[in-house]
Formats: sequence, structure tokens, C-alpha cells
Amino acid sequence: MKNLSAIPGLPPLLATVGLLAAWEIAARVIDISGLPPAHEALRELPKILTDKESLLNILDSIRRMVIGFALALAFAIPVGLMMGRSRFVAAFFNPLLMIIYPVPKAALMPIIMLWLGVGDASKTLVIFLGVSLPVIYHSYQGARAVEEKMLWSAAAMGMGARARLLRIVLPAALPEIVVGIRTGLVLALITMVTSEMIARKQGVGDILFNALAMAQYETVYATIVIIGMLGFIIDVGFERLRAHMVAWAEPAHEIAVGST
Amino acid sequence: MISIDRLSKSFETARGTSHRALNSISLDVADGEFVSVLGPSGCGKSTLLYIVGGFVGPSEGAVRVKGAAVTGPGPDRGPVFQEFALFPWKTVLGNVMYGLIEQGVAKAAAEKRALSLIELVHLKGYENFYPKELSGGMKQRVAIARTLAYGPSILLMDEPFGALDAHTRTGMQHELLEIWERDRKTVLFVTHSVEEAVFLSDRVVVLTRSPGQIKDILRIDLPRPRRRAELLVDRRYQQYVVDIEKLMDNPAS
Repeated sequence: MKNLSAIPGLPPLLATVGLLAAWEIAARVIDISGLPPAHEALRELPKILTDKESLLNILDSIRRMVIGFALALAFAIPVGLMMGRSRFVAAFFNPLLMIIYPVPKAALMPIIMLWLGVGDASKTLVIFLGVSLPVIYHSYQGARAVEEKMLWSAAAMGMGARARLLRIVLPAALPEIVVGIRTGLVLALITMVTSEMIARKQGVGDILFNALAMAQYETVYATIVIIGMLGFIIDVGFERLRAHMVAWAEPAHEIAVGST
Repeated sequence: MISIDRLSKSFETARGTSHRALNSISLDVADGEFVSVLGPSGCGKSTLLYIVGGFVGPSEGAVRVKGAAVTGPGPDRGPVFQEFALFPWKTVLGNVMYGLIEQGVAKAAAEKRALSLIELVHLKGYENFYPKELSGGMKQRVAIARTLAYGPSILLMDEPFGALDAHTRTGMQHELLEIWERDRKTVLFVTHSVEEAVFLSDRVVVLTRSPGQIKDILRIDLPRPRRRAELLVDRRYQQYVVDIEKLMDNPAS
């Protein structure tokens, strides 16, 4: 039995099969139209994924997510790093962040829609806000923890303050920054869907709510599965990238049994 | 070469009071001289080194290097810290090359010089290792090579062997002297080990407890090149160690 966990991919596969089985059984037992059996929902998957309009909607969502996410990184990483290295910058941004942090970003959607309409700009801005906060926070923590002596060593080589931020603080804080980015990716997905549910024009969230309005419950569940898979693929992909980028920071080796 | 003139340093504490770390230090270090600064922990000896390095500003007084006032860090003064402070995302070779590239040396030439320094500190074969894969002694060898690479005329060593075990420590002291004998850079070496200071130095500066002031300066008149095995049985060496230990134990400053 103990070797079961050694087979890669087996535990998650078992979990997935278990979940689907539970769903199937629950749907048959409860037997309401709001909970279709798993096999019926899954049968919708290829239909959605081969339907041109649905695909365009999904790609549209991903496009907004990528843009909002990229803008957030471009903004949040420099801000977080500067906050970590300058008390003045930290004191300036901290109160702003403290106010924005606990507000669900989707709750800002109505106001943002008043300014920017129901198009791309509003949704991208909400994604941007959602991603920015964890990335700022982790960049800030990472930059704060950079060893002073490391910066001094670079300064003695003749490196100026701005170059040190880019070439010493950024790489030194990278292991912490990528933790924020990983959280940011999940939040990008969440804000992407919620923004489309509020400002309904196109996108995955729109498919979801149209199907709900038309009582196509199989499509509703299939869409949720698609969103879940999208999140899973993004997370696994990023984890691989992360492991490669900060391999130098991982513990050198596992502690062997019996070693001192 | 290094001229420290009535240098004082006070810090603001967390309670809002002022703490005086260094009090009116005056010291001249000649070209090619190896000077150790010795004192109880918290006496401000590292702060003195940081001010000479230009990493920390003085409260009063001034430091001059080759006649020019120190206003900030510069490649003429190379630091080596107890914490190693290597760049963990760079390999051994990348770390040693870093300062050369920063100085505008072409990559091929920088790599050649870095490789010869890596050999000098006995790390041949470890060029592509990351700092996390090295022991403390090896990390400090990399840090020394990294600093030597960009050719500072002064080495500022802040308890460089303080984090190493006793055996590695004495080995590193020997290696440092071997490297130093090659071109006799000016060295300012902070330590709290009396034996280390006597073994390495031309002069030992003993500081008092906080606020650090100069208690005494002793010239160590022992022949070079020095070997630990010979010095340990040398009466003069033993006498220096005993004298300095007595000096440090004496509370009257």
C-alpha cells in the first residue's frame, strides 16, 4: 500500500474519479433539474469546446485575464520592491492598500462600470486590482528581507541605488515574489469570471449565466468544470516555471534519514 | 592610506534615545598594513568598519582614504562580511565575476580572472555550484574571491571567520595570510578573537566597551610568513595573547 503514493498522478486521479462518482450518485439520489448527473454535464464539454462562439468567449476571457495580469505585475512588483526598500514609499502606499485590501474587488465593479462602461476596460481593471494586491504584498516582504550586506557588497562594486533595486533586490526577492504571483494567478481567474458575471457582455462568466437563465444546467456545470480545469492548468504550468526560475533558492537536498 | 580622524557615531534607538556606538576614534593605517580591530561584542568595531567602507555615515569626524574623504562605498575598499552576502541566484563563477562585469571588464577577460581567483581560493571544480550547495568555509572563500576580483586596494573584513567552526577557521586564517603575502593589500580586520588578531596582524587595535574608544594599540612584532604550529609554541606570541586578554579583561578603560 505504501507504494501507491509513489505513482505520480495517482492520488489526484483517484480524487477526481471519487468526486465525479459522488456527484453522479448524489444527482441520481436527489434527482432535481438543478443538479444534473456528472456524465450529462461532462457530455456538454466537447460541445462547448468545439462551438466557435463559446471558444471565442473563452479566448476573450483569457485575453483580458492575461492583459490585466501582465499590467498588474508591471505595476505591483516595482511598487512592492520600492516599498520594501524605502520607508517613505511604504508609508505612502500602506494606507491605500489597507483600504483596498479587504474590499472584494468585484464589489468595485459597479463604480468602475460607471466610469469605464461594461467593456474590456472595466473587467481588465478589476483583474488588475485583484492581482496587484498579493503581488505588491509579497514583493514588499521579499524586498524587506533582502540582506543589507548583499546590497553593500554590490555598492562596493560601484553599483548605484537604482541598479541595485533592479539587479540585486529583484532577484533576491524573486522566491517571495513568485509566491505572490501564484496567488495572483488564482485571483486573476476569480476576478475574470466575477467581472463577467456582473458586466455581462461576453466571456466565460457570460456563458455561465446565459445557460443558467435558460435552465441549461448541464452547460452551467460543464462551464464550471472548464473554469476549474483552466485554473488547474495555469497553476501547474506556473509551478513548473517557478521551480525552474528559483531553483537556486530551493533547499539544497532532502535530509537523508539518519543523517545528523 | 586610511586616516580615521576623531570619528564618533551615535544611533537613534527604538526608544527614541541616542546610543553612542563609537567615541572619538583616531587611527592611521599604512599602505600594506594588516590591522585588526578587537573588542567585546557591541563595542562598535563593525560600525567602524562600515563607516570606512562608506556604507554608514559618521556622526562626527571623518575618514580619508588616500587623502580623499569617504562619502560612500567604492571599489577601492572591498568588504568581506561574516554573513558572506553572496548573490544566491548566481553560481560561484557568476559571483566572482560580478564585480568585474560591473566595472566594465569584458566577459571573456572577467571569466578568465574569476577562474584564476577561484583556483586561488581552492574552489576549482565548484565553478557552477550555487551558494546554497556550499559549506560555510567554501562560501567565505567565494566571498573573498569575489571581493579580490575587482582589485580593491583595501580589504575590509568584518568578522569573516566568525560563523565558521574552529578547524575551518584556522585553515581560513592561513589561506588569508597566504593570499595577503602575494600582494600585501591594506587590511582592516574586525574580530573578537584575540588569537586570530595576533596571528594575522601587524597591529592590533583594542577597543573599550560601548561606546567604543581606543584602549590601546599593540604592534605585533612576529616574523612573517607566519605558521600557526610555530607561533603556538612561540613565547612572544603567547605573551601577546596573554597581554591583550588581560587588557580586555581590565574594566578600567
